[in-house]
Amino acid sequence: MMKKILALVLMLAVCFSVFAVAHAEPTEVELWHYFDSSNDKDMINKWVDDYNALQDKIHITATYVSRQELMNQYAIGAISGELPDIGMVDSPDMASFISLGVFADITDQLNAWGELDQFYPGPLSSCMDAEGKLYGLPQNTNCLALGCNMDLLKAAGYDHMPKDLTELKEMVAKTSDPENGIYGMAMCCIGTEEGTFQLLPWLRSSVGGQGVNVDNLTAQSAVDGLTVLGDFIHNNYMSKEAVNWTQADAWYAFCAGKAAMVECGTWHLAMTGDINGAFEYDFCLLPTGEEGTSTSTIGGENFGICTGCKDTDACVDFLKWMCSKEKEAEWAVGAGKIPVRGDSEAEYTYETKGFQVFVDEMNYAQARGPHAEWPTISEAIYTACQSVFVDNADPAEALAKAMETIAPIVAENPLP
Amino acid sequence: MQKRKISVSAQKRKEAYFFILPAFFYILLVMGYPMVYNAVLSLKNMDVKNLKSGASVFIGLQNYTELFGNETFRLVLKNTFVFTIACLVFQFTIGFAFALFFKQHFPLSGLIRGMILISYMMPMAVTGLLGKNMFMNDGLINDLLKRIGMTGPEWLTNTTYSLPAVIIMNCWVGIPFNMLLLISGLTSIHDDVYESAMIDGAGWGKRFVFITLPLMKSSILAVLMLGFIYTFRAFDLMYIMTKGGPLNSTDVLGTYSYMFSFTQFKFSRGAAVAMVLFACLFVVGMFYLHLLRREEE
Repeated sequence: MMKKILALVLMLAVCFSVFAVAHAEPTEVELWHYFDSSNDKDMINKWVDDYNALQDKIHITATYVSRQELMNQYAIGAISGELPDIGMVDSPDMASFISLGVFADITDQLNAWGELDQFYPGPLSSCMDAEGKLYGLPQNTNCLALGCNMDLLKAAGYDHMPKDLTELKEMVAKTSDPENGIYGMAMCCIGTEEGTFQLLPWLRSSVGGQGVNVDNLTAQSAVDGLTVLGDFIHNNYMSKEAVNWTQADAWYAFCAGKAAMVECGTWHLAMTGDINGAFEYDFCLLPTGEEGTSTSTIGGENFGICTGCKDTDACVDFLKWMCSKEKEAEWAVGAGKIPVRGDSEAEYTYETKGFQVFVDEMNYAQARGPHAEWPTISEAIYTACQSVFVDNADPAEALAKAMETIAPIVAENPLP
Repeated sequence: MQKRKISVSAQKRKEAYFFILPAFFYILLVMGYPMVYNAVLSLKNMDVKNLKSGASVFIGLQNYTELFGNETFRLVLKNTFVFTIACLVFQFTIGFAFALFFKQHFPLSGLIRGMILISYMMPMAVTGLLGKNMFMNDGLINDLLKRIGMTGPEWLTNTTYSLPAVIIMNCWVGIPFNMLLLISGLTSIHDDVYESAMIDGAGWGKRFVFITLPLMKSSILAVLMLGFIYTFRAFDLMYIMTKGGPLNSTDVLGTYSYMFSFTQFKFSRGAAVAMVLFACLFVVGMFYLHLLRREEE
């Protein structure tokens, strides 16, 4: 009898221990990202490992998927329902994916967190729909400024960086030496969202203290901004290859000493090693208009919880951890970005002067959208600009044509 | 006796239907369903605004009428045909010349033939990247032209030259493919046919026109049709090399449909472009079947 009781107790103990082990097993969740630079990639992998060790509710597996492939997978997933649990997305694209139903509404969980008011409104708004519901959190932000090859500027007789658009035009002309493959300016004008990102500051250039928004591209200041870029290309002050260049291509042209000035992003501060001490460089606000003004575009990445996530609350906890005050500061320093929270103090240990320029530039930077039909708006913008660069179209007519596409879209759903 | 014959034949027919049943269901599921779904989608207005709510409605042929009324779509359609026909002409002509050349037995012919195939074996993404770098304004091609005293055009930054640049890169891949298929056709012609023609006094030209071409007819037809179908639905080369630009000058139906569906999320519009692509290939496919049938008869 005793033996039977003992066997029963033993069996129950085994059952309970198995159940306990099974119960403690964390839920497997997938995180998809497109961080491809070594700094970003290493950090996200390390953070995921750290978080997996910190708690036992979920076990995250981070998978790299190229940006375009990730977009495709989200679009397909919107129909098939096959989505990761946590997904990264470029900030201007988030509105479209929210509209497609890729991301889940996590407003309640984030409101309960009580830290949303620490986030800058621009990046945070890119995670919202038209009704103000939240579908994710911005993880990092960046903007565009001007990188200058001080050696080339000095050789052209300048001891300072351009202060306004007029001076920029003069400096670009004087530093250009196309015979030897050196251009005054380098930027990305490719026919993709990347091109729109870099072109927008010039279309929004501020004249008379007034910049324009994307819903008013026929304004004279926008036409003037595009005319300046068109002249750079037609006068051989900027390589015509810019119409096929990505931002990385423009940056490498600058690093190779082939361009006196480059429109570059915050993340390039973590890549100044590419210059390899070949010349002296510095950064200043994008001189797109009058002195004392500037315009720039906000970039950055958001993370959202996808529809059908296996454990939404636990995944939201990961987002909160990743976007906490301390982690934001850590990411900004490690990956060369700007924190999305006002209370995060990134103590940059390199390019401190450069980071200060980009932090200042954020005051002039504007978000793209958010708008569900931003990709169509974006296509109209880069097509108008490329028609000026490639086909010698009149800037005013090109922008008027772009507005034929943009106007009905913003009339139906206005830009913020 | 007659009755028994009929019943055996009916039985055989039943068996035949039974044997093709798996293939029929496979085609129905894997090809039929997506095609019907795509056709239905092209008649709706599904886009980023109504996918989630499921509020898309049938709008008839509106997507098609808007497409054909659109200047860019007409350019894209023209690009697709120009690209396909130009590639076919050059790939086939040069590929045939290579096939005839390498059919001759000479030292190292096998090695050189193998080396020519390298460009065909390379992934299209690599070919696209190579093309992007080679056709840059100060890239390899223009540098070579400069060395012989010529000024190369702005290949990928000029709407006039961008499509020819992409055509050249596609031919670079397509020539070995054509050569490979045509060589196998050529080897099926016995040498004694040529020998007897030579005894009769036929020169090289006559042997080519009256022996090679007629005996290669089915191979040539297959190469041209396969080439047309393969080239007409090109996507990856343009996508990597030019992203369809500048100003849609290298956009073809494949890239244009992709842009609507995966960049702008205008799913129905993208489906309509895909249906146009399908219709063109369907016509060509039917024409090929007609020619094959006529040949068999």
